[in-house]
Amino acid sequence: MNFQERLADICARMREEKLALLIAVHDGAHFIEKPNPVTVLTGFKALGASAAALRPDGSCDLIVTPSWDAARAAELCPRARVVPTDDLGDALPASGTGNEIGIAGLSALPAGLAGRISAALPSVRAADMLVFDAARTKTVEEIAFAREAARIAELGYARLLEIARPGMSEDELALALKTYMKRLGAEDNFLLLCAGPRNRAVQPSTGRRLEHGDIILAEITPSVQGQLTQICRSVMIGTPSQELRDTYALVVHAMNQGIAAARPGVPMAEVCRAINAVLEAEGYGEYCHPPHIRRRGHGLGFASTRPGDVSPDNATVLETDMLFMIHPNQFLPQSGYLLCGEPVVLTAGGAEVLTRARSALGVIEA
Amino acid sequence: MLTMHPTLLIGPSDWESDVMPRSEFLARIEALWQNHPQADRAIVYGNSAHHAELAYFTNMVPKLDAAVALLSRVHARRLLVGGGANMLGAARPLTWIENVSPLKDLGDAIRADPAAGQTLLIGADYMPMGFGRAVVEAIGPGKARDATAQVWEQMRRKSPREIEAIRCASAAKAAATAAMREASARGANVSTLLGVGEEAAYAEGAQDVRTLFSLDKGKTYRPFLASIEAVVDPLQVYVAVRRFNYWVDEFALLSRTDDDDLVLEHAIGARDTAMRLIRAGTPVADIATRIEALILPYRSHPMTARALAQRMGLALDERPHTDVGPTFEDGEVYSLRIGVTDGARHHFAGAMMCVRGGCSELL
Repeated sequence: MNFQERLADICARMREEKLALLIAVHDGAHFIEKPNPVTVLTGFKALGASAAALRPDGSCDLIVTPSWDAARAAELCPRARVVPTDDLGDALPASGTGNEIGIAGLSALPAGLAGRISAALPSVRAADMLVFDAARTKTVEEIAFAREAARIAELGYARLLEIARPGMSEDELALALKTYMKRLGAEDNFLLLCAGPRNRAVQPSTGRRLEHGDIILAEITPSVQGQLTQICRSVMIGTPSQELRDTYALVVHAMNQGIAAARPGVPMAEVCRAINAVLEAEGYGEYCHPPHIRRRGHGLGFASTRPGDVSPDNATVLETDMLFMIHPNQFLPQSGYLLCGEPVVLTAGGAEVLTRARSALGVIEA
Repeated sequence: MLTMHPTLLIGPSDWESDVMPRSEFLARIEALWQNHPQADRAIVYGNSAHHAELAYFTNMVPKLDAAVALLSRVHARRLLVGGGANMLGAARPLTWIENVSPLKDLGDAIRADPAAGQTLLIGADYMPMGFGRAVVEAIGPGKARDATAQVWEQMRRKSPREIEAIRCASAAKAAATAAMREASARGANVSTLLGVGEEAAYAEGAQDVRTLFSLDKGKTYRPFLASIEAVVDPLQVYVAVRRFNYWVDEFALLSRTDDDDLVLEHAIGARDTAMRLIRAGTPVADIATRIEALILPYRSHPMTARALAQRMGLALDERPHTDVGPTFEDGEVYSLRIGVTDGARHHFAGAMMCVRGGCSELL
């Protein structure tokens, strides 16, 4: 499915739902966990707050802030009628009445903007499901971008192995990797990187300086043309103990079982159960649940984050062209928190891993 | 200028007590109480996109999850951070506040002081809707008052330490533009040029660098979305740099040639005149009128036609709080930007300046 086919699907759903207008809104604060319905409808990633107003015939208005960004929007979205504005709340269309207007993204807006839009559009119904059901699988364009992002992520990891050393701060290392991957074409990067002898979790970088004996945790998550991909890696500074090697191998084995379980027709919860089963068999069942672990992976935006979390309560049935992370990312008492994870796209034959080399415990001799 | 918001803030943000000591923050909190004599406490919300007020009182700029400061006249100050207990370790270095706990405890923390009277809400418009409702419910009926606009008034006059932080940001920005000019002279492509500029700023301690660039000689500006292997000369760029939590910005023209350009000359001349004229109390409209006359026969560029200046400090672009207002104010820091166009040629000249009484000072 390509972008235009997905848009046609959304329009068909609008007609079924008897919607005369579908308005998507986003505040411009792009975040890995926050889906962007404006991007779903237009392919556009805005600088500021933006909206898209789609009609069942496929015609679309793209309302962008700041007003001077309209030219870029028109260039990138030639089929849309671009409406420049410096105040989104004043520019939303109010045509149509009652249940004829659906809105997606309202609940994710900050309170101030949400209140103004709700006041401007008092009689609308939520249409998030309509938009994101249609965007539960990736388009061919998004999958291509994801492949490129995976390539960049692996190069970023290789760079980490080259340059990380004791004395370097987490912030310095994260910045070096971010700028390196940007040079390769990553327009954004959700790069969580931290280090310690026994990490409790992966978290944003601080000024803490790397030391011999640290385990570096890195969620390397570049975005190419608005499509994120992620790899999760762990690197020991120094010689890892056999216990650490064995523990990491166990987590990787769990991940591989999850990858093997991910097939069209299977509920996402099965992927999580396959991962948990490996750890439970080794007596780590307690660590397969909160507070130690919340999920074993997740969807990858920015546009849509479907099919959601790899979690025991996610009943989403997997389909071809779904893209998501499978990452056990496990806390175990003997090692602390360890990261391993790969991005996968579902094919008829199962999960295709987008990376060329799967997780292995990295080692920096120091 | 609005730039593309990154999904995660990456860069040095640890609190540096020699740059902004605890006493500075305590003085700000004391001023808050003096400005709001009826208030018993304040709840300050911030997230990675909107955090000027939170950073002003706590130094913390949330890199990932949102955070809330609970300030009280009588009780211990607290900072509650999102992401659960496992994120506290990453949050503690970012702030001078010692009591750091999970954000999920906010409701209980608010209700733990039932005797509290008026509670100031600061940054409430940035809260998620449900979160905001829960906070107001916890505070109790009739006790919450939004004080965001008043805090921005308090934030306007910059202290000597803030000015020094802004100078450090300017130094990092200067490193960026110098590196980009050098790369331009070597014939670097757009991606390389932007990259060396950002890296130079980070090497000078920048904690965030945002860029926009123009592929059509200044007519339109765009964020980096994909690699551009082409060499574009002249290339116009917009660079914004944050250091010690304070922002500065600049428009730069990068070219291997030095051709005469009347549009550029008019922009520079108008900027220089504006800087000479701007004093505390000078009406913005007067400066705007003078600039329109100075740039004739040309006209204002759409990017800056709306405002010839913007307040700048802990926020890069946070309208309406960063709007320049009716007059230039004493102690305030502005990004002055004069954009001029004749329809075919487009140029910008700007400056970071602090208005102090009878003059304006270049930062």
